[in-house]
Amino acid sequence: MHRRGVGAGAIAKKKLAEAKYRERGTVLAEDQIAQMSKQLETFKTHLEEFASKHKQEIRKNSQFRVQFQEMCATIGVDPLASGKGFWSEMLGVGDFYYELGVQIIEVCLALKHRNGGLITLDELHQRVLKGRGKFAQDVSQDDLVRAIKKLKAMGNGFGMIPVGGSYLVQSVPAELNMDHTVVLQLAEKKGYVTVMEIKDSLKWERERACHVLDHLLKEGLAWLDSQADGEPQYWLPALFSELSSRDVTPEEANQMTP
Amino acid sequence: MSFEWPWQYNFPPFFTLQPNVDTRQKQLAAWCSLVLSYCRHRKLYTLDVMEAQESPVFNNKKIARKLSMEAIQVVFEELRKKGNLEWMDKNKTRCLVMWRRPEEWGKLIYQWVSKNGMVNSVFTLYELSNGDDTENEEFHGLEEWMLLRSLQALQTEGKAEIITMDDGKGVKFF
Repeated sequence: MHRRGVGAGAIAKKKLAEAKYRERGTVLAEDQIAQMSKQLETFKTHLEEFASKHKQEIRKNSQFRVQFQEMCATIGVDPLASGKGFWSEMLGVGDFYYELGVQIIEVCLALKHRNGGLITLDELHQRVLKGRGKFAQDVSQDDLVRAIKKLKAMGNGFGMIPVGGSYLVQSVPAELNMDHTVVLQLAEKKGYVTVMEIKDSLKWERERACHVLDHLLKEGLAWLDSQADGEPQYWLPALFSELSSRDVTPEEANQMTP
Repeated sequence: MSFEWPWQYNFPPFFTLQPNVDTRQKQLAAWCSLVLSYCRHRKLYTLDVMEAQESPVFNNKKIARKLSMEAIQVVFEELRKKGNLEWMDKNKTRCLVMWRRPEEWGKLIYQWVSKNGMVNSVFTLYELSNGDDTENEEFHGLEEWMLLRSLQALQTEGKAEIITMDDGKGVKFF
């Protein structure tokens, strides 16, 4: 058996072989890409046809809208892409989500002084529907999520935190890292959380738990309750269920600090 | 008509003085609003601090939370700074609660007087606060010390003059 060369000559040879493979690979890839592009073009055309045919339904029916969006997503088409173009002009879908985004911002701003900029998707949904009135287009939670994603992409300080099967929508750029998020998720069940509970559930040191809770207090997302049986409880207005049914009264409006 | 409690009233932390400065500001603003609305609803013009601790405003039995004496004093100090509260004694055991300021009362009273074409008439204080004619007015039942202050405010504006009569005080409106 010849010993494999490890001298300079062998290395050069190896490099040449690799280059040849790469070139071949590139040629192959280019081929495939050309094919795929063609297929995508076809898909796109079909999707556009589909969209014009079912324009009304897409506007009216939120279920339909979800499925349509998913179809678009699989081929990398974003009907919400801003600016002109087939989608925004044809369907006015862009308008729908743009307006929804504005509504969402309004609701979040109106309630920020209460909940520090954190609101459950449920409450947001309730209030958006209320604001739209009886004869407006139906809006689903999926619609909200998409609109929020758009807002997030535009850099409006929006974010979504998964809790208890749904989401908490964050509308202020408070810095929330993984630790904070996980504590919020823990608090979701009862609307409050304690140091003990955090230590027991998450197996953290006391100091880490306190650090997170202090941050939530500082961001105005949590309030301290020191009259609880046992140790202090940290409550989140965003998770306080009674809150979601209450409108902002004139008195409350007057208290809002700018 | 029963009193409508604000959402904060059933929120346990509302009864703990908040450590975060911004949150505390919101909390105190809400407390001031609540105290004034409550007094307005019950037509309370004075509060005794000891009694107040046990009153439903500061003591929510349903959620077993109450504002501490220290916190109550902080709320009262806020109200005092805003011009809605005055201590009646140096020890701060009793206070006057002005859920409407004297100027605002004065305006209401004057509106009633002019609406009924009674400018240039003379009234006794009693007539204004307890007379049959004023039964449906908001200032009906106004305590004398408050009524006097309101009229004094009008006097400063040149809209009234307080006169001393045989058996008490009266007022003439211009």
